Amino acid sequence: MVKAERKPLEEIKDSIKRYKRILTVGCGGCVSVCLVGGQKEVNLLNAELNVSFKADNSPKQIDGYTVERQCNAQYLEELDYMVDNYDCILSMACGAGVQHLAERFPGKPVFPGVNTVAIGIDKDIGMYEERCRACGECVLAYTAGICPVTRCAKGLFNGPCGGTNSGKCEVSDDIPCAWYEIYNRLEKQGRLEDIMNIRPPMQWQNTTLRTIIQEPYKERYAKEE
Amino acid sequence: MAEQNNTPVATEKIKKMLERKKDKTKLSLRMCAHCTLCAESCFLFMTRGKDPKYMPSYKFINSIGKLYKKKGEVDRATLEEIGDIVWNDCVLCTRCYCPLGIDIPDMIALARSICRTQGVYRQYDK
Ligand code: SF4
Ligand code: SF4
Ligand code: SF4
Repeated sequence: MVKAERKPLEEIKDSIKRYKRILTVGCGGCVSVCLVGGQKEVNLLNAELNVSFKADNSPKQIDGYTVERQCNAQYLEELDYMVDNYDCILSMACGAGVQHLAERFPGKPVFPGVNTVAIGIDKDIGMYEERCRACGECVLAYTAGICPVTRCAKGLFNGPCGGTNSGKCEVSDDIPCAWYEIYNRLEKQGRLEDIMNIRPPMQWQNTTLRTIIQEPYKERYAKEE
Repeated sequence: MAEQNNTPVATEKIKKMLERKKDKTKLSLRMCAHCTLCAESCFLFMTRGKDPKYMPSYKFINSIGKLYKKKGEVDRATLEEIGDIVWNDCVLCTRCYCPLGIDIPDMIALARSICRTQGVYRQYDK
C-alpha cells in the first residue's frame, strides 16, 4: 500500500498559519495502516497543534474528522456538510487524497499533513520499505521480482553499470546493487537469458496524468465519452 | 478494536448522523428480502468458509440496522460490537451486489462514520 511520513510540525503550522478554523481530515485507508494519517494520528496532530498554537499565543479552532478513503468520492460526501465551518483543510491522506479533497472543495485551501513516500511493504508495525514507484511499465518479469526503478540508484533497465562493487552500489557501501541481486536470483532460477536482450529505455509516462481503465470496463467507458 | 474509551456515548450526535441518511437507511432495511443473493459477491464470505457472518446483508443489518432501530440509543459495548463487524468483517471494497439495488457499502460506511465519532475505530498498531 501507499506509505507516508508525517510532515514536520513547523511545516504544517506554517501552511495553516493564516487560518483560524482548521479541519484536519484523516483517511481510513493506507495511511491508517502505516500509522500516519488515520483517526488516531489526526487526534495526536490536533493535540500537538493546539498546544503549539496556544504557546505562540494564537489559539485556533482545530477539529478532526476521518473518512474511510479520501481517494473515493463516495466517502468525501460527508465532508460536504462540514467544510463551510472551516477556513482551510489539512489532509492526512496521500497525495491522491489531498488532491481529491482540493478538487471537491475548490474554494477552500487544502494542505497536506504528510509526505507520500512510496508504495511499500510492511516490515513490522511502524516499519515500511519502498518497493514500487508506480512507473506504469512493470519490468519485474525479467528482473526476477526485483524492481530496478526503485532499487537501482540509476534506475537502469540494462544493468549492472560499471559502478557495481562486490554486491554494493557505487553510491554507498550500505546500498546493495539491485542488478547484482537480479543477476544472482535469475541465475538461481536458471533464466539468465532474461537479461541478455537489451531492453529499450523506459518511456517515462509519469509526467502526464495517467488514467487506469481495467480491460473489461473499456467498452463501458468508451461509450460514455 | 477501539481505543480504551469510557466517555459516554454522544447519542445526540448519532441521531443527527442517522437523520441525514434516514430515508436511504429506512428504505434499505425495508427492502432487504433476506434472499442472500448478495452473499456470493463478497470475497470475504467466499474465502472464509461461507460463514454467514460475512454476508453483506448480515453485516449491514447488524450494524447500521441496529443503530437505526435503536434510534441511536446504544451503549459503548454495542458500538464495539458494531465496530467489530464493520471493520473486521468488511473491508469496504464496495464490490457487493444486491439485486434490489441496496447500496450496502454505503450503509456499512455510515455505521463506520458513526462509530468513528464515538472513538470506535480500527487500530492498526494493536
Ligand atoms: S487517499 Fe491515499 S492513503 Fe487514503 S486510501 Fe486512498 S490511496 Fe490510500
Ligand atoms: S518496475 Fe518497479 S516501479 Fe515499475 S511498476 Fe514494477 S515494481 Fe513498480
Ligand atoms: S464492501 Fe464489505 S460486504 Fe461488500 S463485498 Fe466488500 S467486504 Fe464484502
